[in-house]
Formats: sequence, structure tokens, C-alpha cells
Amino acid sequence: MAVAEGARLTPVELLVSLGRNPTTKTLLKIIILVLIATAAVASRLFSVIRFESIIHEFDPWFNFRATKYLVANGFYQFWDWFDDRTWHPLGRVTGGTLYPGLMVTSGVIYHLLRFLTVPVDIRNICVLLAPAFSGLTAYAAYLLTNEMTTSSSAGLLAAAFMGITPGYISRSVAGSYDNEAIAIFLLVFTFYLWIKALKLGSVLWGALCALFYGYMVASWGGYAFITCLVPLHAFVLVCMGRFSLRLYVAYTTWYALGTLASMQIPFVGFLPVRTSEHMPALGIFGFLQLVAFLEYVRSAVPSRQFQTFLYIGLGGIFGAGLLGLVGLTAGGYIAPWSGRFYSLWDTGYAKIHIPIIASVSEHQPTAWPAFFFDLNMLIWLFPAGVYMCFQKLEDEHVFIIVYALFGSYFAGVMVRLMLTLTPVVCVAAAIAASQLLDTYLQYKSPEVVDNKEEESTDGTSKKSSKQSTLRSASQPVVGIYTVLSKAFIAGAMTVFLLIFVQHCTWVTSNAYSSPSVVLASRMPDGSQHIIDDYREAYQWLRQNTKEDAKIMSWWDYGYQIGGMADRPTLVDNNTWNNTHIATVGKAMSSREEVAYPIMRQHEVDYVLVVFGGLLGYSGDDINKFLWMVRIAEGIWPDEVKERDFFTPRGEYKVDADASETMKNSLMYKMSYHNYASLFPPGQAQDRVRGARLPDQSPVLNSLEEAYTSENWIIRIYKVKDLDNVGRDHAAAASFERGHKKKKAIKKRGPRVLRVE
Amino acid sequence: MRWLPALLSIVALPLGSFAAKSSSSASRFQTFHTQAVSSSPLKLSDSTYKKLTSAPRDYAVAVLLTALDAKYGCQLCTAFQPEWEVLSKSWTKGDKKGESRLILSTLDFAEGRDTFMSLGLQTAPVLFLFQPTTGPHAVPNPDPLRFDFANGPPSAEQVHDWLARHLPDRPHPAVYRPVNYVRWAVSTVSVLGVLGVVFKLSPYILPIIQNRNVWAGLSLIGILLFTSGHMYNQIRKVPYVSGDGRGGISYFAAGFQSQYGLETQIIAFIYGVLSFATISLAMKAPRTKDNNVQQIMVIAWGIVLTVMYSFLLSVFRGKNGGYPFKLPPFIVNSISIPNSI
Repeated sequence: MAVAEGARLTPVELLVSLGRNPTTKTLLKIIILVLIATAAVASRLFSVIRFESIIHEFDPWFNFRATKYLVANGFYQFWDWFDDRTWHPLGRVTGGTLYPGLMVTSGVIYHLLRFLTVPVDIRNICVLLAPAFSGLTAYAAYLLTNEMTTSSSAGLLAAAFMGITPGYISRSVAGSYDNEAIAIFLLVFTFYLWIKALKLGSVLWGALCALFYGYMVASWGGYAFITCLVPLHAFVLVCMGRFSLRLYVAYTTWYALGTLASMQIPFVGFLPVRTSEHMPALGIFGFLQLVAFLEYVRSAVPSRQFQTFLYIGLGGIFGAGLLGLVGLTAGGYIAPWSGRFYSLWDTGYAKIHIPIIASVSEHQPTAWPAFFFDLNMLIWLFPAGVYMCFQKLEDEHVFIIVYALFGSYFAGVMVRLMLTLTPVVCVAAAIAASQLLDTYLQYKSPEVVDNKEEESTDGTSKKSSKQSTLRSASQPVVGIYTVLSKAFIAGAMTVFLLIFVQHCTWVTSNAYSSPSVVLASRMPDGSQHIIDDYREAYQWLRQNTKEDAKIMSWWDYGYQIGGMADRPTLVDNNTWNNTHIATVGKAMSSREEVAYPIMRQHEVDYVLVVFGGLLGYSGDDINKFLWMVRIAEGIWPDEVKERDFFTPRGEYKVDADASETMKNSLMYKMSYHNYASLFPPGQAQDRVRGARLPDQSPVLNSLEEAYTSENWIIRIYKVKDLDNVGRDHAAAASFERGHKKKKAIKKRGPRVLRVE
Repeated sequence: MRWLPALLSIVALPLGSFAAKSSSSASRFQTFHTQAVSSSPLKLSDSTYKKLTSAPRDYAVAVLLTALDAKYGCQLCTAFQPEWEVLSKSWTKGDKKGESRLILSTLDFAEGRDTFMSLGLQTAPVLFLFQPTTGPHAVPNPDPLRFDFANGPPSAEQVHDWLARHLPDRPHPAVYRPVNYVRWAVSTVSVLGVLGVVFKLSPYILPIIQNRNVWAGLSLIGILLFTSGHMYNQIRKVPYVSGDGRGGISYFAAGFQSQYGLETQIIAFIYGVLSFATISLAMKAPRTKDNNVQQIMVIAWGIVLTVMYSFLLSVFRGKNGGYPFKLPPFIVNSISIPNSI
């Protein structure tokens, strides 16, 4: 289906040129946009078709759970939601610490469909929300591009690019129910409204822009991107001497209303007037007032006096502003750069100071293959399109240029921000591609050929008159003479576009459509084999443990346990409390004797680890283990040392050569407990790390194995109760082993928690 | 013969360290501390190292074993040396009385070859902290603590934190970075100078600043740099090129998540050529009046476009093994990328 999309573009051009009738054109455009939206939705359904309608990965499980809560309890309950089933024993003020836009959107759609008597499950709305919004994003890209150029094919191309480019699909496949699902639509649409407001100098459009900005703030933390980009655009325009009342009206309307709107979100609150990432917007707001005032004074007083006024006034205001800023920062009213944001500028910062940020793979810098993988040919059409923006260089083109530079810097620093770069790449690439195609597809029909030849000899064709104001129009456009040239370039572009569509389909199908909750592998005969260990284990937890059994696991799995197993967790993917995470990291990386009191103090009933050694599943806990150690070391540098987990030669090993600290750590023991018994003697091996393991499996004293999933991906251990005759667990266990007696430890009598 | 001891002591003064040999740990500390106050960090040799770290001691010693000589090519050593000097200077300065009972010292490989041998050190730098064995702060384990240099050259503050953590209940003079007045003066003067020159030359510079072509060029360079993974090189400090193990040079790193410095430049060049071909085809060619020139131009840029894109695809196939798409002429996977890193 997506293949047909790219191939159709050339006939589309033909049809548009044939259909001179405006009604036909509009109809064609609508049909094309609907088809693009269909293709955008369809290309995101791989995972639904291959697996089932299921929520993906980690964060979406929390969003899903929150949506269910919202639908069940209503908006006000949701707003005040205190969740005591996460971050045990602290709990989390969920209603005040999330971006509610996504859940509210799904809730509204759900109630609307219910009102229309469409029986629909909230899960299906959540799964299909991202594809549905991708269709809207394509339309928003169409609108935005149409503001940049008069060529209508550019808008349609941009919509098509936006619909299927993997850079955006990566975050919006069916089941990827995350904030980005709706946020990219809001981002592009807010930018469109901003351009519109700026062009018209209209309060109405500015207010609409602020409204959608408010929606964006309610939906995604990435709203800071808009908060920084729009002021930057305004600033560049002022620097270019392009201050106008249109700019003043658009910006001040947007800023005043948008800031008020954003402050309605409890999670954002007073941040817009406090933190540094919001300061540019505030600063430019003041700056524009100043510039507007100066413009006014200049029109009112003679130029001589105005100069004196300018120097004194500007110097005084600048000095006062700087002093005020320094004073407020020193006084602690304005927060310093928040870590996540600071790490964008000083790239070494996160590595040294915030291991929890450095540990997330989304916060890594981007290597070049990732750009090509996500954008394919658009990546080299993009600079060409930006260059073409320099031709006319009106206010809206400056926006594209500023966005392109800003966006590509941030995408280079952080893989995750590829998402914010993608819209501008699509717009710029569409401008370049459409100009190329417009030039070389000019004479497709003989009727047009005659027309154009006459016009080009006159030099008064519609195209050249349009471009006569351009800077680089040292020569007028004459058009392309030979059919050979046209056929060659048009053919090459067609092939490239076809490859682009193939590439997008291939990338989406191979890289971005795995739910990561369910894994797929190929059997020797080529048939698909589904590995469903995660859901199997979570289901076991749900059915075999107490309603309030506390599960300790690394934070990656917190949301899934909450969503699928419905059990309280110690830490989850909302990493608001680093110390609590470090506590879990310490328990995992310490000896049993140290870990057991920690687990008792946190009332842990079960411990869950992910182990990929049997299957060769590389995203397991042993591979993440060093991050647990590092995060724990950040809080307890004397008790946990990263160095101790390496062999004397500095290698990270899990076999017989592993360091003693490694072998005694709880994580190691839990991962390899009883593992050697699966293999004949001397054959035990870990297929992820390619290590041969000793025949003697590690001995666990204070935990007992409760459940291991089919492929050993998830292993669940029960924390033993205190020994009923007061021995420590090691003694009790060795006593039992010595007597070869299997005696269940019964829970009896009053028990006292031992204090360290 | 009253003058004899006096004379002896004068003779012995430069050899004060020898005199300290037989003395107690307290006086040894005093001697070394006095030296450290005058020049910190203390430069050690094999013999003074032994003396300073010999067993009954009621003070702590931090020794940086380093190899600063250019012939050893130890980048980490030279990178860390200024930080270490800042730390030791500010520590000694803040603790003139020696209340923290810590001596910061350096042993260069050139002077301490035997020590390196006896400790079996293969790498430098190594930072040891010898805890006191007697006195109020004595620790049971006499083995020195070793600082972990795994994450690149640490800052003085990081090492300071590490020392402070292991020397509790003692004063920890804060790291004080001396203000580099010369640098400030130089930068102020140069900024003012540049401003003056700009002001004087503004009639000539202004057209350049207001020239669209300049800005367009700068923007394109910026975009090409960022999209070809330049920031990754900055952050990860990747090597420029690397050997392929057979004496040749490997231009492309194996694997999807890694790259070399030269590799990103090649990629930026390819992107640049492709963009430029597009610009020429879309904007220059239709403005060419001469029929034949235009024909040649279109064909030439078209061939450049297809060949470069084909090359780009083949490079990408080399990075990403399973990538199925290819274009002529680079159908065969011509770029061999070693699988081992």
C-alpha cells in the first residue's frame, strides 16, 4: 500500500496539471491527502497484524493504566490521583506528575464513541491512537509546507514524507501509546499556527497557536522545544531588522496566552517563570516590548535625540535585566539548568553527574547510520531544501532555517530528539523534491510543452515571473530543453522515491514494529515462533501472589509489572527518586547478607530478574547490571564499587573468572541460579555473553525460586521469611543441605524484624 | 668541637630526607610536609617514595604514579597533570599546618622505574592513597586504595571528593582554582581588538554579514556536520581512523552504533555532494540558456547524483548487514568492514 503511494506521486503531478479546474484540483488534493493518511495508518499496523492488538514496551503500559483509571474514575479523580501501588513505600502523586494530554485525549475519544453507541474497548483506542494521529500529522505537515511555498505539490510531498518516514514511525506504531503519539501532531500544527499568526499578524491565529501550545504542554515534556524555537525565530527576525507589528502581535499573543495555558498543568505549574529553559521565551517577550517601544519613540522624536535615548535606555535596561537575572538565580528563585536539559549543552555532564540519565539509551548521541536509517533520502534533500529557503527568505523561511539548525543539533546530541527533527526534514525535503520534480516534469503533456516553449522564449512564463524577485535569479528561468534530460532526472527521482518507500516499509517492518513485550523468532522451517515470556510471568504474578505483594525489579520493568501484573513495585520508569532506584541497585549488586535487610525494610515479597542467557536475549539484567552498580555507587560510593565487578584485567565477565563481588552479588546469583543444571556437565553456557559457566550454580540462601518462565527470560524469586528458630539464612540453608532434608519453613509465631 | 654538629647539620640540610630516614613517622611527616608547602605536589624518586610510604606512619599519602615524558605517549597522564597540580596546590595551601596529615606527591616513571616494576604496574596514571597505619586515623588494611581512572581524566573536584571520602574527620581544604589573570587580560584585549577591527572595517564586513550566500553556506555546513554524526564524535571521542588488523586502514567502523571521525567526514561529503547536485539540477540547470550546456550539465549532475547515492547505499549496507536495497553501479558490497572491533 505504501509502495503505491510513492509511485502515484508522478501521475498526481500529471493529473493536477491536467485538471486546471480548481474544483477538480481540490477534490484531487483531498483524495490524495486521504490516501496519504490511509498509508500512514496502514504502515503502522505491522505489529497488530503480526502479533495482536497489544500495548508496547514500557512507558505505554503506564499510560494505558492511567487511561484506564481515568475512564473508570472520571477526570477529577484522575487529577487528584495518588498512586500507592508504585514506589513502595513512598507512593507517587500521579495526577500531579504526569502530562495528562494523552490520557484525556483517549478518554474523550472513548466517551465520544460510546455516546455514538460504538462499542469499543479502551485498549483498542490506546493501541490505535498513534496511527490515527499520524494521519493528522501528515495533514499538518501539508498545511505547514503550503505556507512555505506556492507549489502545491510540495505540501502533498511533505504530507507523504511525514506519513511514512521511519523517524516518526519509530514513535507512533500501533501500540506505542506514548506521549509522542499525539505530541508530534501538536508540534507541527502549533508551528503551522505560529507561521500563520506571524504572516497575518492576527490575534486570532496567535490565540489558536497558544491553545495548541497549551495542548502540547499538557501532552509532552518536549514542549520546551517550541518554547525555545519560537522565541529564537522571533529573535533572529529582529536581528535581521525584520521587526514588524505582525511579529509583535503574534508573539505577545502566543506568549501571554500560551504561558497561562501551560501553567494550568499541575506538573508544569510555575516552571515557565522559573526554570532556565523557559527563560528565552520570557526574555524575548521583554525584548520585543523594548523594540516596539523604541520603534514608537523613533517615530515620535528627532533622530539625534533618539540616538542618545537609545544608548542610555538600552544600556540601562540591559544592565538591570542582567543584574536581576543574576540576583534571582543567586537567591534561588530561578532554578539552575535541570540536569536533563543541561546535558544537551555540556555533553560530558550527564556522564559524570547523572548516571540515571546516561543509562537510558534514548539519551545517547546519534551516530550517522541512525540518521540515514530514519530519514533515508530525505537526509540529503534536507540541506537542499534549506538552501532553497534562502532564496525567498521571508519570515516563514527563516523559521525553517532556524528550526533546521536547532533541530539537527539536538538530534545529533540525543537519539530521541530525532523525532523533533523529522518534521522539518520532511518539509525541507519536500520543498527540494517538488522544485526538482516541478522543473523536470514540466513537459509531460504535449499541450503544456507548447505553452511552455512559447513562454520560455518570452521569459514571461508564470514560473519565471514568480521567481524574478529572487536573489540568485541572475538569469531568468528558461526551463529544460530536451526530453532526455527530463526523462533522466524524472526517472532517477522516481527510482529514489520508490526506494524511499521500500526503505520506510522495510525499516518499519523490521525495526520499529516489535512490541518488545512479545518477541518473535524464526523456527528452522521458517515459521514464526512467538516468545511470550514476559506476559507469561506477569500473568503468573497476577494469579499466584497476594494482591499487595511487593515486587522488586530494576526500574525498566516497573510500568509493565504495574500494568500487566497489577502488583505494587518499588521503582518504575518514572525515575523521580534517584535514591530509591539506587537502593534497588544496591540490593541487586550487594551480597545476600546486605541485600536481605534492604528487602525486608522495603517489605519486598518477590524479586524479578530478566535473564537472556538461555535464549540469547541481549537486553537482560546482567547487561544492564553495570548501570545498577553505577547508580548505586553514586549514593553509596563506599559500599558499592564499579571497579570490583571487573576482573583484575578490567573485563566484565560472568564465567568462572568473574570477580568475587560479581559472583556474590544478588543479581548474579538470581540470574544463574540452577542454570547449570539445564546442561550436561561442563556444557553450561550463557548465549548472550558467550561464556562457559561453571558447573556449580550459585547458591541462594535468603531467596527461593518461585517461578521461571518457559525460556528463562523472567525469573521470579520469593524472599524467604525470617527463620523460625532465629538462625540466619545461610546457617539454616546449610543445615538443611547437610541433612538432606526438604523441610518447608513454616510461618509461625510472632516474628521480629532484625535490625542491622 | 662545638662547631662540628652545626656544620654537619648544615651539610645534612639538603639531604634532609636522609636524615629523616631513621626518625619517627611524625618527624618524617614534618619534613615532607615542609617540602610540600614550598612545592606541591611533592616530586618523588624511588628512594623518597619508599621512605614516604614506609610502614609505620600516622599520616596519609596520595601518590600519583605517572609518565609525563612525551615518549611514553600517555595522554591521560598529561591531561590529568594540571588538575592534579591544582588539587595538590590548593590542598597544601589550605592546610599549611598539616592538620589533614595528607601528603600529595607525584612519582614520574622517569624517576621511579623501580617502583613501577616492583608494583607491577603496566599502565599509568595510577593514583594510590596510603592510609595511616598508626595514630587516630589508622585503618586495619595497609594496602593502598586505588583511584579508578576508567572514565577519562577526572577533574580536581572529583579526586578531591574521593580523597575526602576516604579521609573522614579531617579538614578537606576546598579546591581553589587560581584566576588566570594573563588569560583574562589577553582575552579582554583580543575581544576589544576584534571589536575595534570590526568597527573599523564595518563598511567591508557588513556586506559579508548581510550576504545570504554566506549564511546559506554556514547553515548548510552546520546541518551537514550535525546530521553526519559530528556531535557523536565530540561526545564519545571516537578515533579518527583505525587499523584493520592487516596493516591497512579501515575507514568505516563496524556496527550500526559506532563510527570513526574520518567516516563522518566522508558521509558529510557525500551528503554535501548529493545536496549540491540537487540544488544544481533544480535551480541552476533550468536557468542555463544554452541548450547543449544545459544538456551536459543535467546529465553530469544526474550521474553524480545516482553514483553518489548508490555509493551511500553501499556504505550503509556495510554498516547494517541485512539492508536489502541497492542501486547500480555499487551493487556489490565493495566496502568491507571488519567484523571485529
